[in-house]
Amino acid sequence: MSESLTNLIGHQFPGGEYLIEHWENFLLTDCTGADLMASGVVHPIALFHVPIIGAQTSIAEMFALGQAESDSSISIESYDWHFHSPLKENVRYSVTGGVIDVQLDLDEGGRRYDLITFRFEIAGANHPVATTEVAWHYNRGTTIGAHQSES
Amino acid sequence: MKVNVGDTIPPWTMASVSIEKMKTMAAILRDPNPVHWNRKTVAAMGMGERTINQGPLGISYMVNMLQAWAGENCIQHMHVTFPNPLILDEDEIIARGQVKAVDEDGLVYCETWLERNGERGLIEAEVTLNLHNKQV
Repeated sequence: MSESLTNLIGHQFPGGEYLIEHWENFLLTDCTGADLMASGVVHPIALFHVPIIGAQTSIAEMFALGQAESDSSISIESYDWHFHSPLKENVRYSVTGGVIDVQLDLDEGGRRYDLITFRFEIAGANHPVATTEVAWHYNRGTTIGAHQSES
Repeated sequence: MKVNVGDTIPPWTMASVSIEKMKTMAAILRDPNPVHWNRKTVAAMGMGERTINQGPLGISYMVNMLQAWAGENCIQHMHVTFPNPLILDEDEIIARGQVKAVDEDGLVYCETWLERNGERGLIEAEVTLNLHNKQV
């Protein structure tokens, strides 16, 4: 089943727009334990959820897209974030995103996983604002041993 | 601000990770996974009756440390990895970091990490800071 996931490479989410209102930045920043930043600047941690929701997808859909066996079967490989300029409140950003890579591999315990990498881009009116790559392990139940073939 | 290779970044402490913050974060993220807001779900997994912190919140502790040290909007790039990101409510987490390189353009390359009970390996990040990037 996992072999077919390579077909996801190139999959694009619908894309769309996202505007971070003050209340959202206030609550988000409060969750981090920091003080609200000046001049309507949004806490950088917004670069996790703004691309996902702005691209018109969701964590749940991303789990389902990779055929996650359960919520707890997902683990994180890495997040790679580039900030070109700060995110600000009440600015309408355009967001695009999709799947850029899928790899089937084995973990140290010989358990199969698909490593799926998503890439999102956030742009302002005429300039890029940020890019993010999200790489998640979709762990599969099968343990076949590092030197055994599946049969 | 004068920065040198080997400088230690002043640590930033989250004294007690809060389930209430996790609940709010779950709503903001639209994250349906109950391990972040239902202690009984985590208990049923044999991990004790404490919810699991969202990865982005763990990252935010490192962001807060960096911005407290180098200023808002200083972060240009973060590559975050998760060796063992199991942070639970009521944990005390300390974000730490060190300068690894500095270039002539004002870019500062750091490694940052989270510690619990003096042990690192929860969440780690390689970060590029632009100390001249103060404009908003």
